Amino acid sequence: MIVKKLIEKIEGEAELDFTFDKGKVEDVRISFGFYRGIEEILAGKDPYDALVITPRVCGICNHAHLIAAVRALENGYESAGAKISLTDKAKNIREFTLACELIQNHMKWFYMTILPQLEKLLDDRSGENHALKASYFSSTITKALAIFAGQWPHSGYAVPGGVTCDPTYIDVMQAENLIDESIRFFEQMVAGIPMHKYLNIDSVSELHKINGDLARVLRLLGASRMAETGKSHDRFIVFGDCILFKAGKSMATTVSNVDIQYVEEMLQAGTTAKAVTYKNRFFEVGPLARAMVAKEPIVKSLHKRYKDSLITRVFARVHEVAILLEYSKKLLQNLVLNEPSCTLQNHLKAVDFEGVGVAEAARGSLIHKTTVKEGLIAKYEIIVPTQWNLGNSSNTEQGVAAKAMIGSSDPEEAGFIFRAFDICSVCTTQ
Amino acid sequence: MSQKRLKLLWLQSITCNGNTHSFLNHPDLFSILSHFELIYHPVLETSYDIQALLSGRLDCDVLILEGSFRQEGFKKGGIEVFELVKNYAEKAKHIISAGTCSTFGGIFKQYDPDSISGFCFNGEERTESYEKYASKTISLPGCPIHPKWLSYVLMMLSHGKKIPLDELHRPQELYGITVHTGCVRNEYFEWKVDTKGFGLKEGCSFYENGCQGPYTRGSCNKILWNDTSSKTVVGTPCFGCTEPSFPKTALYTTKTNMGIPATMPLGVPRRAYLTATGIAKSFKIKRFEERIITYDS
Repeated sequence: MIVKKLIEKIEGEAELDFTFDKGKVEDVRISFGFYRGIEEILAGKDPYDALVITPRVCGICNHAHLIAAVRALENGYESAGAKISLTDKAKNIREFTLACELIQNHMKWFYMTILPQLEKLLDDRSGENHALKASYFSSTITKALAIFAGQWPHSGYAVPGGVTCDPTYIDVMQAENLIDESIRFFEQMVAGIPMHKYLNIDSVSELHKINGDLARVLRLLGASRMAETGKSHDRFIVFGDCILFKAGKSMATTVSNVDIQYVEEMLQAGTTAKAVTYKNRFFEVGPLARAMVAKEPIVKSLHKRYKDSLITRVFARVHEVAILLEYSKKLLQNLVLNEPSCTLQNHLKAVDFEGVGVAEAARGSLIHKTTVKEGLIAKYEIIVPTQWNLGNSSNTEQGVAAKAMIGSSDPEEAGFIFRAFDICSVCTTQ
Repeated sequence: MSQKRLKLLWLQSITCNGNTHSFLNHPDLFSILSHFELIYHPVLETSYDIQALLSGRLDCDVLILEGSFRQEGFKKGGIEVFELVKNYAEKAKHIISAGTCSTFGGIFKQYDPDSISGFCFNGEERTESYEKYASKTISLPGCPIHPKWLSYVLMMLSHGKKIPLDELHRPQELYGITVHTGCVRNEYFEWKVDTKGFGLKEGCSFYENGCQGPYTRGSCNKILWNDTSSKTVVGTPCFGCTEPSFPKTALYTTKTNMGIPATMPLGVPRRAYLTATGIAKSFKIKRFEERIITYDS
């Protein structure tokens, strides 16, 4: 029996075609709508134009595209013999703005997807307007981002050699206040305890110390026995050495190195999205993957008890907000304003090159590859995080999100497990 | 509220969701929405779900369109989105094309320029929809839309006020000025002092770095982004994202003819520009050659 379900209120829409056998999901095909052709739009353009065009892949993780694009350009120029070295100031500002975007994304997902959908699914409604919290938080943290990047969404402020902005102490103080306000929100609304106490929690036995909306979600998941659903391959991968994240892959209890040359894209029947594998195997990307590779204690502790289940996945994404907020504050405090913002004074005129740029976006590793011939973009390739998580089952193994949904007896529950991956259809199909 | 609230329906076509997320950052979002009955929205909780939306049977007074359009081949749940758009456009009292894609076609138009366009305009040309729907359409180009520009229009509609529009149906109050208006680098423009590369708060980006602010319509430097800044303030050139021609190419480089910017500030004759800048350039003003702040290292 095939059950079709159109998933809405994500970034765009996705269609899930469930195959049921004996009352349980046996497989699920994930399909997305329209291919928008960003890679083809870029062909023939000036290499710098990727800094403007690629953020338009996605309204919610546009800044990660900018960072991946500028890294691809810098990598390309360097491969053609140019010397590019960024100041610590430029590096820290890029880290800061990218961290702000991730924080923004995770809190919107928590308040606009997880809480309302979980309440609906379990018919346990608080009557609260969760989106109001999401909007307040998001407008606060993106204001901090815009102080350096000019605007969010769709900034173009990262250029080869650094950043275009030249912040003053007023800017830095304003940004710090906004981070403090975001931390205050996390303490009062999300975790219900002071940040330092929250960050000291390193094992499942201490999770009871958490109050606030996060505690409510953990309780709802626990009480409904949904906590342990959603298990997948338990294999994780991270490519972007940025923010606090380390590149690597985590399988069983081992973390090991990765090499981008083993990443492969493949076409899939019935959807415009391509699947991605590493050495022919599917891996999960995103906050849970980053925490597993970085061996984040509380996430490791949850994983030890619940494996890569729904509760671990949901917790890892919210937990990343706390880590990034702390880190953002440190970045601001360490900014040395009299360093140059940009070390390249002129556009580089390298005529032919290939460059690869990686960034950790909200949903996981984002890879840009640019091939420039005779000074113009000949080919541009974008591999987005959701391609990793949402690839359909192949002949040899099940897709990451598909496997998480398999075995569920209810399409609504499976739909929630799906949403826990933080779905973005616009990125997936580009 | 004694007046009956207008029914608001937000419909996405070929988009990146950037306009949706830009508007979600409006600090007064829910106060503005309280003047409307929210029928459907791509991410906010609404009384109707997507199946109800796709049935075409919902009521709609104000239709917000996000994304560019193709007559055929862009479907949601098996339904042609363009047919759905026309269905709701028929019912709506007001249509807002939110962002450059839904207004002129924008970036996604470049993938298939013959089939993809904005709703009433294809670049600057009128589309087939123009005749039927333009009289109730308000254009709000920008990639993405500025949240406060949209809230201005929504509040005017909810108060039953008429918005003065230009020939491309853009509100004059928002698009009657250029992005250059209010830019913190204006003194450098006046005295023709270029910014030296990227990453400096001093200097103007119009001469070398590709800034299109002086000939791009929009209020980015009057009504700041995220209530705090703008591209040109942080030294990023204006990319002309509100214009029917967006996106042009080589966006970080000024195109020049014999050293003179190829595109003049809006409405300024070349001869007037050359005369004024010739005089400005003949003076060397020390203050504009110096850093604004010097730090003890």
